Amino acid sequence: MSLLSSIRTIAIWEIKRSMSTMGKGILPLAVVLLLLLVLVTAFAAESGLHLQDGMYRIGVDDPDTARIVASDTRFVTYLDDGASLRENRFSYDIVIINGEVYAVDTDKGRAALNTLERDYESYVASVAAAEPDLFAAYPLWIDLQYVKSEIDFLATQSGQQVGAPVETKRPPTPSLPVEEVTPPSQGKLTTEEELREHLIESGDGQPLKRYTSLISGESTTDRLLTPSELSPPLPFDTIILVFVFIFPLYFTSQFFMMSVMNERVGRAGEALLSAPVRQAAIVVGKALPYFTIMILIAAAITLFARAPLTILLPLIPVILFFLANALIIGMTSRSFKELSFISIFFSTIATSYLFFPTVFANTHVISIVSPLTLVVLAIQGDGFTAMEYLYSTALFFATSIILFYVGIANFREEHLFSERRLTSRVVDFISTGISRNHPHLSLFLLAAFMIPFVFMAEMLTLVLFFNIPMPLSLLLLTLTAAVIEEFAKSIGLYAIARDRPGFLTVKNLLIGATVTGLGFLVGEKLLLFATLAQITESIFGSILFLSLQALWMPLLLHIAGVLITGGFLLLGGRRAYAPGIVAAGIVHSLYNLYFIGGMLL
Amino acid sequence: MNRRHINLIAKKEIAGLSSEKTIVFAILLQVFIAMFSSFLMVGLTAMYDPESIEGYSTVTYRVGYAGAESPLIDQFAKRDDLILYRMDLGEALAALRERMVSAVVYVPDTPPDAEDPVTVTLYLIQNDLQSGVVNVKIKEVLQDYEEQLREIRADRLIYSPVELNFPDSGGGESFFEFVYGLLIPLLVFLPAIVSAALIIDLITEEYQRQTLETLLSTPITFTEVIWGKIAACEVLVPLQAGAWLILLWLNGIPVNNVMAILLHVSTSGLVLILLGALVALHYRERTSAQFIFSTALVVVFLFVMAVPYNPLNLIVRLAVDSIGPTHWLVLALVAAATALLGWAITVYARRVGEKSP
Repeated sequence: MSLLSSIRTIAIWEIKRSMSTMGKGILPLAVVLLLLLVLVTAFAAESGLHLQDGMYRIGVDDPDTARIVASDTRFVTYLDDGASLRENRFSYDIVIINGEVYAVDTDKGRAALNTLERDYESYVASVAAAEPDLFAAYPLWIDLQYVKSEIDFLATQSGQQVGAPVETKRPPTPSLPVEEVTPPSQGKLTTEEELREHLIESGDGQPLKRYTSLISGESTTDRLLTPSELSPPLPFDTIILVFVFIFPLYFTSQFFMMSVMNERVGRAGEALLSAPVRQAAIVVGKALPYFTIMILIAAAITLFARAPLTILLPLIPVILFFLANALIIGMTSRSFKELSFISIFFSTIATSYLFFPTVFANTHVISIVSPLTLVVLAIQGDGFTAMEYLYSTALFFATSIILFYVGIANFREEHLFSERRLTSRVVDFISTGISRNHPHLSLFLLAAFMIPFVFMAEMLTLVLFFNIPMPLSLLLLTLTAAVIEEFAKSIGLYAIARDRPGFLTVKNLLIGATVTGLGFLVGEKLLLFATLAQITESIFGSILFLSLQALWMPLLLHIAGVLITGGFLLLGGRRAYAPGIVAAGIVHSLYNLYFIGGMLL
Repeated sequence: MNRRHINLIAKKEIAGLSSEKTIVFAILLQVFIAMFSSFLMVGLTAMYDPESIEGYSTVTYRVGYAGAESPLIDQFAKRDDLILYRMDLGEALAALRERMVSAVVYVPDTPPDAEDPVTVTLYLIQNDLQSGVVNVKIKEVLQDYEEQLREIRADRLIYSPVELNFPDSGGGESFFEFVYGLLIPLLVFLPAIVSAALIIDLITEEYQRQTLETLLSTPITFTEVIWGKIAACEVLVPLQAGAWLILLWLNGIPVNNVMAILLHVSTSGLVLILLGALVALHYRERTSAQFIFSTALVVVFLFVMAVPYNPLNLIVRLAVDSIGPTHWLVLALVAAATALLGWAITVYARRVGEKSP
């Protein structure tokens, strides 16, 4: 049977089987739940979401004032006369006596005051919107225009502070040629009726509208705003994209994960493994239906949101990444509960990895490490270049392909049905990749293939340490980066030491360390120059990828790191592995710190 | 039902959890989310309240001004963090593109007391962190200018709103509502959801791995097995929720009424766990059970949130200490519902147990 036709057979078989297990009793209940969901949504829309009800207590001496906050459920209003309000003022967060607002001096009191001020603003707006002479009530309108910056974020890239600190009397003169601009026309851009309507509409204060308009690609710049409507662009608007696009994809990948797991439960997959098809055909055939469904879901959401279909392109590597991880998690977990915990853990990390950089879409080069940034750019109508696509998806493609390869290579009886611990199963998987005849070549390749994972892990540490004050964050980043790299480099040696203790001689260790260091360096260079060259220019990049300047120094460092860990393994056995990594990590960080110190001083 | 048998099963499940080190993942997850949300908060506070971050306060932003002479210039002159430069519009926009100025305003020659509104055009750099900061500052200037124009045109107004005088709050967006009104209820309820997913795993696994027969060959009955598993999952809820509250406290976010909050979460969590158990007993297969349960979870949460005085809302109120003893009444109601569900589970489990021992 050719590979393609066997993939097709497996895919059809997978669809049929999941239909039969899922079909039993699922469909009627799913339909009922869907109907319930519609009903409940209608009920929730009618009644509103009561999450923040009654957070603040407010004491008021005048029924007219009480009406201002009447519609805001966050306030519980108490109507009382001024004297007793004054007496019991400490049981309220805010007291309003004779139009004077008093707030308790706590975080809560200040938050309540903020909320009240916003309520008051919308109350004033609603009064003003009823004025017959609208332009006396709203004399000032803002036409907000966004301009695209032509400088490639040089300031933020080098870790500098945003802003222009230089103070001069003379206006700055642009260096590029000045285009002739016609001043904006001063005729009324919109009619009075439209503006009035818009005022009443925005008085509702629907926070969700912001998100629905973001999804449907509506922009707020095509109409006039009052000054109080000017709000800074929310950086976490993009989190809604995570939910809309990423969550359904992740959810579907769960079915694949479960299908892989089901093959292992009670050795159910034995029949499949004994079929005359290659392992690659089995894995790809099983994954194919889920991949297709995920693409269809993404396309449906895109069409529904009326977004350009090009956003499917950056989603493909994300889908592959989810499927690859689902495969590995399904193959490694021992029990359902382990499966649940690992997949929740993985999804949180993957989601934050996808989400975090998009906060800086358009601002910082780091944003391109997430394919989701490209989705944001495409929805904004900016599009992305092929180069940017390569930048932001290369890591995802590389890790997915490597993970799929690992999964396929290990999709065998002795690994699928073993009951060993999670960590030792992972080592099993790695050890499969080390050839018996050419162990050194395998170590070289393994080290090179570890690079995308190392980069991903280091990017994540960047996310975590971003908000810690500067010298400490650099130190922590250096330490964790060093430990991650040392761990990644030595994992191959560890696998060999476990499965073939006789292999670990002084001579083999020296050769092994050299090829590992070399492989690591080659992989690093390839990936760096191909994709992340831009990031290396920022100050954080220079810590993560310090070893760019000279070639022989980092090579020696990488080899020395592996030698230290390997030496610990050689002398102390597998129990010395963890101390070995720590020791190598410390040496590695000292080297890095020495260079950063020299660079910064 | 024999309490010792239930204890035995519960201990077995918890021992299983700790031997598989899955609990490590749960703890790592908590720490990770805690760090991530603190990142979000610091980052966002820096954006909305630039003054709160040292170093920002000394930064001045350059603003290009084009068009007609207007009182807006005087409004800008009052600010020491914005420097205004009179420029030609084309030149100003070119400077903006090169980030030599942070914003450009174009003011038409409409007189302040005209029939028509004054329409100011504001140019900002698209989707940029700095634009966010500048936006806040210019908004304040424009609001002052709006106030000034309103006074000039005041004789054309009819209605007068209720006057309120606000104390000087120091301005700035605080994240009190985000933390107490969203983050805390979500984080505290996360363990309840995780435990409910866990009970499905525990029950379906016995079926799919066919280990149930061995277990039932002991004097332990099927109902006891189910309740033992429920107990194991339920114990984790207050433990994890408590860990969250400690993490929050370490992050400088004190939470009031901790005991009451844990009681509410444990009771509501038990409802979710019982629901999960019911679904798992019905399907006996993980994929179907998890699918139905997660869909049902969305429905349940949406419904609960739409009801006033729901447990999530009570946790918010308790956390900010804004509620009297009313919440005990709700707790009693939820507990009654739990007891009802528990009875249903017992009956159902007994029937299932008798049918397929």
